[in-house]
Amino acid sequence: MASQPNGTSTDWPGRYYHIDQVLNTPGPRTDPAFLAGDGVKTFLRNQAKILVIGAGGLGCEILANLALTGFKDIHVIDMDTIDISNLNRQFLFRQKDVGQPKATVAAEFIMKRVPGVKVTPYFGKIQDKDDDYYLQFNLIICGLDSVEARRWMNATLVNLVDPENPESLKPMIDGGTEGFKGQARVILPTITSCYECSLDMLNKPTAFPICTIANTPRLPEHCIEWASVLEWPRVHGDKKMDTDDPDHIGWLYKIAAARAAEFKIEGVTWSLTQGVVKNIIPAIASTNAIIAAACCNEAFKIATSSAAYLNNYFMLIGTDGIYSYTFEHEKRDDCPVCGGEALEMTISSEMTIEQLIETLVEKQDIQIKKPSLSTPTKQIYLQAPPQLEKATRPNLEKKVSELVPPGGEVTVTATTLPFSLSLRISYST
Amino acid sequence: MIKIWSMKKNEEAAAKRKPKTSAAQIRVQKDLTELDLPSTMQTNFPDPADLLNFTLTITPDEGMYKGGAFKFSFAINTNYPHDPPKVKCAQTIYHPNVDLEGNVCLNILREDWKPVLNLNSVMVGLQYLFLEPNADDPLNKEAALEMSKNRDQFLQNVKMSMRGGNIKGVQYDSVLVR
Amino acid sequence: MSFTNSIDIEQSTVVIEAAPDNKTRRYDRQLRLWAASGQSALESSRILVISGSATSTSILKNLVLPGIGHFTILDPEKVTPEDAGNNFFLEGPSSIGKSRAEETVRLLVELNDGVEGKAEMRSLEEVLAKDKEWLSDFTIVIAHNLEAVLLDQLASFLWEDTSNPPLVIVRSSGFLAEVYIQYHEHAVIESHPETTQSLQIDKPFPALLEYAMSLDFENMDVTDHGHIPYVIILVRLLEEWKKTHNGSPPTTYAEKQEFKKSVLKMRKKADEENFEEAEAQAYRAWTTTTVPSEIRELFTEPKVLSLTPTSAPFFHLVHALSRFASTGSYIHLQKLYKARAEEEKAIFKSYLQVPVSEDMVDAFVKNSHALKLLKGKKWGALDADPQALANAVETAPKQLATHLALTALSSFATKQQPNAPLTPTMEALTNEALALLPPGTELPEEFEAAVGEVVRAPTADLPNTAALLGGVVAQEVIKMITKQYIPINGSCIIDLIETWTGVL
Repeated sequence: MASQPNGTSTDWPGRYYHIDQVLNTPGPRTDPAFLAGDGVKTFLRNQAKILVIGAGGLGCEILANLALTGFKDIHVIDMDTIDISNLNRQFLFRQKDVGQPKATVAAEFIMKRVPGVKVTPYFGKIQDKDDDYYLQFNLIICGLDSVEARRWMNATLVNLVDPENPESLKPMIDGGTEGFKGQARVILPTITSCYECSLDMLNKPTAFPICTIANTPRLPEHCIEWASVLEWPRVHGDKKMDTDDPDHIGWLYKIAAARAAEFKIEGVTWSLTQGVVKNIIPAIASTNAIIAAACCNEAFKIATSSAAYLNNYFMLIGTDGIYSYTFEHEKRDDCPVCGGEALEMTISSEMTIEQLIETLVEKQDIQIKKPSLSTPTKQIYLQAPPQLEKATRPNLEKKVSELVPPGGEVTVTATTLPFSLSLRISYST
Repeated sequence: MIKIWSMKKNEEAAAKRKPKTSAAQIRVQKDLTELDLPSTMQTNFPDPADLLNFTLTITPDEGMYKGGAFKFSFAINTNYPHDPPKVKCAQTIYHPNVDLEGNVCLNILREDWKPVLNLNSVMVGLQYLFLEPNADDPLNKEAALEMSKNRDQFLQNVKMSMRGGNIKGVQYDSVLVR
Repeated sequence: MSFTNSIDIEQSTVVIEAAPDNKTRRYDRQLRLWAASGQSALESSRILVISGSATSTSILKNLVLPGIGHFTILDPEKVTPEDAGNNFFLEGPSSIGKSRAEETVRLLVELNDGVEGKAEMRSLEEVLAKDKEWLSDFTIVIAHNLEAVLLDQLASFLWEDTSNPPLVIVRSSGFLAEVYIQYHEHAVIESHPETTQSLQIDKPFPALLEYAMSLDFENMDVTDHGHIPYVIILVRLLEEWKKTHNGSPPTTYAEKQEFKKSVLKMRKKADEENFEEAEAQAYRAWTTTTVPSEIRELFTEPKVLSLTPTSAPFFHLVHALSRFASTGSYIHLQKLYKARAEEEKAIFKSYLQVPVSEDMVDAFVKNSHALKLLKGKKWGALDADPQALANAVETAPKQLATHLALTALSSFATKQQPNAPLTPTMEALTNEALALLPPGTELPEEFEAAVGEVVRAPTADLPNTAALLGGVVAQEVIKMITKQYIPINGSCIIDLIETWTGVL
């Protein structure tokens, strides 16, 4: 494809009439670094490479918005296939697509609808990809429904940041919705608060005391949990419950309904049973549209510098009017992912683990007592419990260089540290 | 993007690479190495390289369960501490708050779990169940009923079950300390 | 531990519903919000959208997906190259030159087989001049960036007759936008409040009081004692308290503390959580239960006072509620105490002067603590009231600044030759805005930032702004149609530079 300052050969005159109004001129709140005109357009349309995580409710919206705003090189990862219950909001999918991979169907749809946009799908897990894969993107937008996937992505991007290489900083824009509520946030790894910093802000799914479930049920949910938490393993042993299998849901529903009848509790339905065991979160097209648009708008502003970007958290509640709250979520010093200290250490390749520990303890500036050490793949020396101390004790006499490769990382924990300290080891001889 | 990239240069202080070790992994290392357990509790790692799966043995030195060694399995997933550890009793025991499948009624394992809690809090909570079984929150209803209605019979049942006895048709595991 | 055998349960005679059908499965994630009643309201709705702009199709997408009954796009224009570049419901260059209404309708109906879409190629001028009544046939009308004079005509026509549909006005320019819903009033029964109703411990109904007094706390089994609901504990204690205090509840600080202590004294064991909860909730014993003020205000609504058989069911229900409340009961209607609620519902229904469906009565009594009646204003009322604008300079300067910038742009555009390029200057727009304020009043400080954006991108229908408006407007329209949850009352202002929304 021929590279043109204003886009690609598939563009037609007037295509970017709307977008170009904000790319040709700065506004009153635009940063002076903004390169109005061809400079910013060339970057956006010919160079920028953006990754979308998730091709579900938010993902479909995100892909369409990015394509229309002029991003031409978009990648998307999703491990799921299309289910009929997606069709009330995931608008790139049709009845005939049920069972197909979301990433592939979404990518094809966008490429067919928006000429000249390349969308590269990956049907699989984010954990399948390595650092080099993530390093190729300028920006990452997450439209995920899993805390665990977000934590992984966040930690990976924080880890990618290399002080020597500014381009290793990959802004992560994260959206999430629940019914009429949602949030969008901008995470600049190591600069702003990260996903892990706000872990305690999350709403936990409602859990009920297990003894209530077993003995004094009052709510239909108690009966359903009785069926899924206590009766399923009792009756089916090790057979895993598949919440996508209608036969399994049907069984749980019957058991829960009988339990409810016994205790004269009303309200156990098929739908509630499924909702409780799958922890279904209500989801609608409109809320997803709002949050996805907010995320894409931040991506566009960051990529183009055409306007200030969100600092750093936008929360929306649409149940009573339209209430929103924009605020700066603070970075946490004791965040296990982006907080704490990091040290570059150059040591002799002859130094033993025991000597390394002594060196750490003697360091005036970090105040460590009784440190435990590990690499990303193995424990080096743990102070406790006794069994692990004993198991790792032989390592004390080993050379650091036997256990940690040059440039390798060591995680240090100790009661005296806010959370942990990370060491990057290089060898002098 | 230029704006973001230039920011990085001005943020030297924060610009330090973090380890690839996952947050869950570091947190488990921190929790385990900072455990502060009395001599009545002991952890055991079938595979010392796997910190996420281990057992805890509680040997109460007072109360009605004195003389027994009670084994619990701990399974921690990669979403710890957002998700609580999964704890089950590995033996069939006669206890009002533990059912025959090994489910344990301890609030901080389910409804009251918070990421600020740690493995130490869970272990201390478990030990408390043996010092003060609670008949008001029963999982083994028969045991709870016995405990509140006929304490002497209950104590006898506890002793019998700990020796591997059979109570009302249920065969319990022998848990006596050898 | 329960030793009931699951196999027996499986073969028992409990009534079991069949697995959900395809339609229920498709709509599962939204039925959890607005249930079958909301869904059926959506399915019988007819929506008119004026113009097939990127914003308009974004709104419709989010209404077609959840399953409205019908939509019409009113648009006489042909697709331009500019349209083909920012509208997802056009197929790039191949749509250029075709009818914008037809192209967008064709691609929107693909989203949901259950929705009917129609392209109407007349202009709004023509409809307003020759066929106004056609507009009355819709459930709701939505207009995006409509020229100001036409918009005023449309708004006036729809406002004239209260049976005409509400009008949603959407204005956007670059990163800035505004949404307004013109309605006379909007009644909500199912507002889905997050707070729960009062328990009325101070005025227990006879069966509750009798039950609380009948329990033998002293000789109760420890397990049962630990599971007495805290409501029962408080009702019982309050009754006993009143016997020794001339029939009055605790009033002074000391008395309240004493009451709380007596709650804890009743414990059989130190860790009885129900008694701790009773202590924590003790304030309910001396809180006088009254009808919430917002509900009481409804009782004096003109439409309730001058009820006729043709009044909307909502007002009949409120009227019945006001008579009911005057009998001294109120709260029992709510589902908390089920048996009592059934009796009270029968009394409630006897006050109704017209037949109202059982489902609606149920929903009404269940929500009688959270009813909402919103009163709206005609579009343009704010801009025609210099004093109100001057007040807003003080109370909501940021929101007002954006509103004024958008109003200034539309007034400016009206004065242009039709089809001339729209290139306003800061000065021209500032003058338009100043003309609305009382003489001598200054524009809010934030006006410059807002108007600067409007000057920068006066006609830009940015894809992200369009998508966000698509979500916001669809959410409000769904709330209006289902009469569930609470729509905005006033203008919602949106700034996508600093990413905030506010209400004016």
